[in-house]
Amino acid sequence: MNLFKAITSAIFLPFAGGEVHGEELFSSKIEPLLKQRCFECHSHEKKIKGGLALDSKSGWEKGGESGPAIIPGKPEASLLIKALSHAEKDLKMPPKKMLPSAEIALFTEWIRQGAPDPRVMEVQAAELVVDDAWEVEFQKRLDWWSLKPMRRAEPPKVKDAAWSGEPVDRFVKAALDAAKLTPAPPVEMEVLYRRLSFVLTGLPPVAHARPSSCEEFVDALLRSPHFGERFARHWMDVVRYTDTYGYEWDNPAKGAYEYRDYLIRAFNDDVGFDQLLREQLAGDLLPRPRINTVAQTNENLIGPMFYHMGEHRHGSSLMFNGIHQEMVNNKIDAFSKAFLATTVACARCHDHKLEAVSQRDYYALAAMFTTPRWTTRVIDAPAKNDAAITRLEKLRSAIRDEMSRRWAKPLEASALKEWAASHGAALKGIGAPLATPDQLSQLATEWRKNREAAKKANTAFKSLAPDHWVFEGDGFVHGRVENGTPLIALDGEKVIDRLLPQGWHSNALSSKLPGSLRMPPEHVVPGKFVSLNLAGGEFGGQLVVDDHAFQNETITIYTNTEPAWKSFADAQLKNGVQQVTIEFCTSSLNPNFPPRTGLAKGLKNDDFGFDKRSWLSITGIVSHDVGGTPENELDAFAGLYEANVGSAPWEHIASWFNAAVHRWCSNKVRAGDRQVLDWLLANGLLPNKTEPGTKLAELVTEYRRVEAGIAFPRTVISMDEREVLHAKYPLNVRGNVDAPGTLVEPASLKMLHGDRVADRLALAESLLHPEHPLTARVYVNRVWQWIFGTGLVATPDDFGRLGDKPSHSELLDWLAREFIREGWSTKKLVRRLVLSQTFRQSGLVTDAARERDPGNRLLHHYPTRRLEAEEIRDSLLVVSGRFDPQLFGRPILPYRTAEDDKKRLFSGPLDGDGRRSIYLQMSIMDPPRFLVGFNLPDLKLPTGRRDVTNVPSQALIMLNDPFVNAMSKHWADKLLKRTSATTEDQIGWMFERVFSRLPREDEMRRWLAASQDFGGDTPDAWERLAHAFFNTKEFIYYR
Amino acid sequence: MLALRAMAGVPLHNRAKAKNIIFCFMDGGPSHVDTFDPKPMLKQHEGKPIGESAVTKRSQSNANRVWFGSPWEFKQRGQSGLWVSDLFPHIAQVADRLCVVRSMVGELPLHGQQNLLLHTGRILGQAPSLGAWVSYGLGTENHNLPGYVVLNNDWVPNGGLENFGSSFLPASHQATMVRAKGVPVDNIVPHDTAAVQRRKLALLAEQDAEFASRSSDAQAIEGAIANCETAFLMQSAVPAIADIANEPAHIRQLYGVDSSDEHQRFYATQALRARRLIEAGVRFVEITCPSFDGNNSPWDQHGQIRQNHAKNSRITDQSVAALIIDLEQRGLLDETIVLWAGEMGRTPHTPKVTGTCGRDHHVNGYSILMAGGGFKGGMAFGETDDFGNAVASDPLNIHDIHATLLHQMGIDHEKLIFRHGGRDQRLTDVHGNVVQALLA
Repeated sequence: MNLFKAITSAIFLPFAGGEVHGEELFSSKIEPLLKQRCFECHSHEKKIKGGLALDSKSGWEKGGESGPAIIPGKPEASLLIKALSHAEKDLKMPPKKMLPSAEIALFTEWIRQGAPDPRVMEVQAAELVVDDAWEVEFQKRLDWWSLKPMRRAEPPKVKDAAWSGEPVDRFVKAALDAAKLTPAPPVEMEVLYRRLSFVLTGLPPVAHARPSSCEEFVDALLRSPHFGERFARHWMDVVRYTDTYGYEWDNPAKGAYEYRDYLIRAFNDDVGFDQLLREQLAGDLLPRPRINTVAQTNENLIGPMFYHMGEHRHGSSLMFNGIHQEMVNNKIDAFSKAFLATTVACARCHDHKLEAVSQRDYYALAAMFTTPRWTTRVIDAPAKNDAAITRLEKLRSAIRDEMSRRWAKPLEASALKEWAASHGAALKGIGAPLATPDQLSQLATEWRKNREAAKKANTAFKSLAPDHWVFEGDGFVHGRVENGTPLIALDGEKVIDRLLPQGWHSNALSSKLPGSLRMPPEHVVPGKFVSLNLAGGEFGGQLVVDDHAFQNETITIYTNTEPAWKSFADAQLKNGVQQVTIEFCTSSLNPNFPPRTGLAKGLKNDDFGFDKRSWLSITGIVSHDVGGTPENELDAFAGLYEANVGSAPWEHIASWFNAAVHRWCSNKVRAGDRQVLDWLLANGLLPNKTEPGTKLAELVTEYRRVEAGIAFPRTVISMDEREVLHAKYPLNVRGNVDAPGTLVEPASLKMLHGDRVADRLALAESLLHPEHPLTARVYVNRVWQWIFGTGLVATPDDFGRLGDKPSHSELLDWLAREFIREGWSTKKLVRRLVLSQTFRQSGLVTDAARERDPGNRLLHHYPTRRLEAEEIRDSLLVVSGRFDPQLFGRPILPYRTAEDDKKRLFSGPLDGDGRRSIYLQMSIMDPPRFLVGFNLPDLKLPTGRRDVTNVPSQALIMLNDPFVNAMSKHWADKLLKRTSATTEDQIGWMFERVFSRLPREDEMRRWLAASQDFGGDTPDAWERLAHAFFNTKEFIYYR
Repeated sequence: MLALRAMAGVPLHNRAKAKNIIFCFMDGGPSHVDTFDPKPMLKQHEGKPIGESAVTKRSQSNANRVWFGSPWEFKQRGQSGLWVSDLFPHIAQVADRLCVVRSMVGELPLHGQQNLLLHTGRILGQAPSLGAWVSYGLGTENHNLPGYVVLNNDWVPNGGLENFGSSFLPASHQATMVRAKGVPVDNIVPHDTAAVQRRKLALLAEQDAEFASRSSDAQAIEGAIANCETAFLMQSAVPAIADIANEPAHIRQLYGVDSSDEHQRFYATQALRARRLIEAGVRFVEITCPSFDGNNSPWDQHGQIRQNHAKNSRITDQSVAALIIDLEQRGLLDETIVLWAGEMGRTPHTPKVTGTCGRDHHVNGYSILMAGGGFKGGMAFGETDDFGNAVASDPLNIHDIHATLLHQMGIDHEKLIFRHGGRDQRLTDVHGNVVQALLA
């Protein structure tokens, strides 16, 4: 038995005959103990932690976030005693040290006696004071530099003419002057060009392309598409970019690379940071799409992929408590660090220890972020397929007209009789009456009985119009068809594949078109059950989503062509889950497709789910309160059994068929006709050949041509806030997922007046208010760091009390205001910084500077910087000539020495096909190891500033890694092709390519000697020389 | 990835009993009720539904599942009479050295979370591995070798390589991976002949020295230059330790390095290397199990437990016992802790008892063991209930084990801290108690 019971039972004994009782016990023992042991944290004078005040009777009656603290007469059931006895890990009071057992015994006895407590205090007053306590603390915490308004500082006047132009320089120089330090002299041009090239594009400069001026060079680099790659990668660190979700199965993060490409486009096009922020936080809520005409994408919908980065755990919150809470934490962490440099995630278990962030703030954000469906969106520009769809609809209609002419000829009774005699196997289902034509009357009776029974049973089912259900994707939007609409065969001799029942068919025009139907939360849909008549194939299926828990595994793939009813009972909501919904979707719109290996039968492990046909049909939706599914009312036979059979059964059957065909040909199809026609079609009783040379054949060919021209959809996991329930999120008492407390409404941070902000778009707009104290400062500081190596605030993700304070606070404010004034333009900001004197300084450090400002916070020189992991790998590609400058695309698998196909850890080409490192697949489970060796950041967490370590394993990589050696070989092969060059020429050329400079004389002698020692003019020697260049420190550092 | 100790460690907080840890990581969760925690009741009630009262969130469980008795017989072993099942015939022979904890409690029955909890003390990870903390705390005794080595077979465990990472500690404390087959360490085999490499390094030394003198951060450049020299030495030092060719025949036989079973050969090789590594001064060596049937993780037998627990035992049992025996013979067991642990146990119940049935995830009372390094031998600590379904007395969590392991290494788990994210971070977060009852 647990410790708690042991204590409570042991301590009853000494008080069995109790000396003091009732209120006397309270005033003599309990009240002093409360004051001594508890009031520090649970009284209005001090603090009211966890919402619990013990300085009044109403305080413990009402209790804190976990409920009443004391149940009079029942010590064992009282939270107070549980907490005092330290029986539960998450509920230990006082937290550090347990009270002596004699004291606990006193409390136990007092409660056993009914907890008499003569103190009186107004409950209402108490509540007010509770708020006041945090309010006072909160107001104190608002007194912090980064929460105060940005100042409007005039750039100071400085004496030095060169430093008097650019305001940035004036701020920097004034601070240097004040510290009696001098800036470093301007750096040599060749060093500056190399620096600019890496800073702006992450690539070494192209040799021989000597610009006429620095401005011209900078503008060329800003125009280079590689600028977008470089700055996108910076931002990808901040948002914890990943292509997979790690954990146990490393599932693909659907469409992550589209988000990466979107960032590259945005930085290249200099989309304002305000717009980027809006799109990443709330792109799905923006009223007008931002179309990229080149990519043909709706960029808005890609932005919210931001939320989906980081690790995603699999499973269901209904099965395991604690999974989605961890992920919500990751989202809040990323949001608050990336945009606000604030550590809100610390407030998960308690009000922030240092910042003006309450626990309520945390859960208000959780409510806001869990309100939308975290699901897949089609990012193709709207109307991209409209022309093809209209054309296909017209062609389908024309084909139907052609078929109507061919089907107009009635079936003869005699021919039917003859056919039935030789097709016994087909005589079931619709064909069953043909097997026993002489028993039609008996069959009719039976049919009537069954039909009546089915109709009666079906009264329990109420047809449901999906008015508040969300349809996404052209497949469903254009897939609503009338009964009997032909599904045109996409290949082969047949014209019509089959006839579709009334309903939504994502493949009605093309199985390339995506479709998803998103149900409202189950408990909102009428009835205890909802049933749908469903068919699907090629990985079309359903996903049950518990509380938008991001990586649900309850995926079901359909493999039935004829619709079948599936029933969904309202789930029992538990583990803090507020809603359960179901999405019916083609594979491209299924947020968990491909699922972990093995869950989608028939899908190969190395199939990442790209470019797949997939389809889904929904032909009925009903709600009901009892189990079961609707019965077949046998409409198909109405034409046969409702009329009088008479004495000529074959004529009767033929006329049943002919009437159905006739109705189809005249567009008056009735319920049940579709099954009859499909049976006739399947059995060859209706003509269905393309008949080469006819108009029909032309139409079919054209249909197939247009269909083939439709591109596969581009989809990304994003957000969908249409028709959702606005979530309230249960505050987890002390962060404990098993202790859900009050439900918190969506809002933003109170310290930023966000308590009135109720959705993500309003959140985004609130951050973009021109007087917002953090948004622009935080971003401008990041850009500063990307340019100079260290931010004006050295902790780019933390502007709070544990962060660094700005080295030049007025400059930071001036830059932030200027940035907003210039339309939140990253390129203008970058251009200003890199053309400044501050940036153009050399790396010379004076003794005084080294002495007084060793960290270079005052910017008295430009630091020596090691290339980042990607820059090292990309430089190897560029210098060796292996570089493929192609932009965008699906991730390239990193090279691996071992594979694990169950986790989709496959190996890619050693040189990544020459593509830049940004395009390598970022797998959380096993990231590209070459890059990890040089401090690729943790892919799960936002990283504002990368580590730079200096360890022998890096030397081993450069010495022995097969990729480095392959690049040496590649470069040597290039050198060998320059047949007319002398060894001096070659070495000079190598210097230019690697260091962007020519060798000095002594260097030339040094490398010539080495070249001789390596074997002279031989392939091996050139490879060794190339390899030696790659191992120089000058290759992986710039000044 | 090789990483070297850069720091000399922190001063010891108390008298160290042990200097090294060898962690035999039983990835996937070996069944406690088939190994160290005998439950005759399971046989008696085999096939009977477990009922609602046995359902817990710390187990993959529902009321309709049925009890499943162990296919292996338990016997009392050695002088101590410690119970060990026939699944581990070799480990049974060293029972008197084993300190078994039968009352481990985890958080959720999920591999990723439990793996990260076992390694980093947090279900979320994002913190250094136990091995990295030990390396950080104690430093290495051999500057040509890293402080934390994982003897691995290119197997990425659930939770990812983060299980072996240094997180916010300096990168030099992350695990160096040594694989069983093929080249033991990435990039350790010189691409060039020694003469060519020497000539390259000579060229680089001159070229880089000049660059360093022109740079504003000569120290960083010089550090990188020094790394080249260290790397050069490591190219011979690391393979020399990994090479077991010269181990005498009786030792090779003891470990089973010449077994006809490929996987046993890998494991035995790694176990023998583990001993060589700690002899050479590596503080923390971890050995992972080889995966042999495409399972999610080696010990994760949701089905075919009879066949595949036996196979796992064939692969690891002899070598683990050999390691304990060999260390003892060399007088190293007193200063070396052998830790044998999976991230979870397995359910004492199953959906249906069949010849091919298995056991599922279970963290509500499972077994791990320690040997050597000042841990008591021949003892079992803690209890589960009559069915092995829930902890019944003396529950311990991973933080307690971490605290106790560090304690034996001379480190106070509350004092081994690293400032990160505005907090003094510890391996044990805010938890953990040293379990004196386990210590001699």
